[in-house]
Amino acid sequence: MPLISIVLRNVWKKKARSLGLALAIAFAVMTVVTLSVVGNGLETSATAILKVGKADFTIVQKGVPDILNSTIDESTLVRIEKTPGVKSAVGVLVETQKINASNPVFIEVGIPPEDLTPFGVTILSGHPYSPDATNQVMLGWRAAQNFGLHVGSSFVANGTTNTVVGIFSTGNSFGDDAAMFPLPALQGYNRVPGVVTMVFVKVDHGASIPSVEHSISYAMPELSTIRTAAQFGREDLTLVFVKAAATGSAILAVVIGAIIVGNTMLLSLFERTKEFGLLRAIGWTRTEVLALVMGEGLLLAVVGAGVGVGLSFGAASLLERLPELVGVLHVRFSQDAFWRGLLTALVMTLLGTIYPALRAAFRSPLDALGHE
Amino acid sequence: MSDAPHIHRTGGPAAASALADGPPNDGPSLAGAPDNDQAAAGLAVEVRDVVKVYADGGIRALDGVDLEVRRSEFVAITGPSGCGKSTLLHLMAALDRPTSGTVKVNGRDLREIRNLSQFRREEVGLVFQLHNLLPQLSAVENVEIAMPWSPRHSRSRAERARQLLAEMQLAGAERRQPSQLSGGERQRVAIARALANEPGVLLADEPTGSLDSASVDRFLQMLGRLREDHSTTIVLVTHDMAVAAAADRTVHMRDGRVVDAPPGA
Repeated sequence: MPLISIVLRNVWKKKARSLGLALAIAFAVMTVVTLSVVGNGLETSATAILKVGKADFTIVQKGVPDILNSTIDESTLVRIEKTPGVKSAVGVLVETQKINASNPVFIEVGIPPEDLTPFGVTILSGHPYSPDATNQVMLGWRAAQNFGLHVGSSFVANGTTNTVVGIFSTGNSFGDDAAMFPLPALQGYNRVPGVVTMVFVKVDHGASIPSVEHSISYAMPELSTIRTAAQFGREDLTLVFVKAAATGSAILAVVIGAIIVGNTMLLSLFERTKEFGLLRAIGWTRTEVLALVMGEGLLLAVVGAGVGVGLSFGAASLLERLPELVGVLHVRFSQDAFWRGLLTALVMTLLGTIYPALRAAFRSPLDALGHE
Repeated sequence: MSDAPHIHRTGGPAAASALADGPPNDGPSLAGAPDNDQAAAGLAVEVRDVVKVYADGGIRALDGVDLEVRRSEFVAITGPSGCGKSTLLHLMAALDRPTSGTVKVNGRDLREIRNLSQFRREEVGLVFQLHNLLPQLSAVENVEIAMPWSPRHSRSRAERARQLLAEMQLAGAERRQPSQLSGGERQRVAIARALANEPGVLLADEPTGSLDSASVDRFLQMLGRLREDHSTTIVLVTHDMAVAAAADRTVHMRDGRVVDAPPGA
């Protein structure tokens, strides 16, 4: 009879205890995986706007808590354009608007029509809006589909009724779910004349992107340049806080889980002291007793990880449907989520099991046999 | 029994080789070389001037015990509760160490054995008053757990366990859980487990203490057959004089001393 058979029998014999342990592991795994997936989802959603512009890098105001709160004066945009190595600099205003309960955080982008092509926008139907129009809008094809609108329809936003003059594609779900307005119109709706949120920069062919970034940062220290999602994560303080809270909660979940596992294992092994004494008395080595106890923990960890990842699917889906997060959180599970869950379960089980296992293995067999 | 997969017979060259080549366990192995004098004298167990003092309370459980048990001999140790007979048995089983004196089993001084797990697995078989079977395992599995781990030998382990149970007249009860067995049957499973690795010495601590008289008779018959078939040395601790009467020799103990065992008898 292989060791795994004894492990299975022991786990099966105490069904309620095993179930409790597996659930404790599963809940910790669910917490870690869900927080991680949600954190990544928020970062992905937030950084998706960077990809819309298909730029070499993006410029935002330094030190803002939320990058969408960044304000850059259009006069600064001119200075950026004049920086050596800069091929084009497109300034856009990004605002959010609650359209209805299903779309509480709808993205609106203000951009001059002449910058649409450099920004990576393709008109699928209709035509671009006029530069100074105050009641024209273009919808991303996903937004149009979502609202059931087409060219010529009316779209109410910012307290005004706008005519849909074009349907566009950016090749990016974030952009395709948004609406685009003439820049002055959106600035007017939001009472921020002459201001853009961020600037998308493309550099000249052959120019060094880091050098151009450095030149801009040096000349305009009030600005930050962003090239990667990680840089975005560092600049956006809200995202920093969200991720820090997620990491802290995950660590707490693992620690609490490990304490539960350790406490339950310790109680369980205390009950089985005589059994371990017997095994040692009939010739089992300490290593074999350790393997038995750790094997039981490992089995529960694998089961707990599987259940935990499954639960995290449900939890993340529920979070995605929360009115506050609809449109903001786009959860995507990857293989990483499973491995992260398994790793969490293994670390937690190892932390919780190692001490009870060592106690079981290193207790004198005679002493253990006399235990009642 | 002759059809049983051969593990090894203790005390001989095969045993020494098996110990030397054994898997890494609690230590790098192994028993010191067998004592030629003891081997020549045909002694399975030799206890010389053994003292055991428990640190907590300073109780002197054994006070200069000397005892010799020849190969294939059946020795019963009797005496009042607390006289040290179980302590003596635990020292022979390497479950405890003497404060002073020497204990040799199959010619090996137990102080020199570094891998005690291997010694307990291969050199001695232990039977307790309360059978101590694992309730979650079947009878045959309870016997198998005493055998060395090796996936390669999984089938031969199971075959040997079934064979031992058949010898204990438990054929047909292999898949039963301990809770489905009578007290006598459980004790016979415990004996089968003790014999799993063909130990040279069987050590039994009050094995009949929880059995009815019919089960005791059957148990003694089993021990008799064991000696006939396997020449197993048996050291049995008991309060029951009827059980002691079945032994070749009875050793009486009182207050940590052997009181009337004729030397070398």
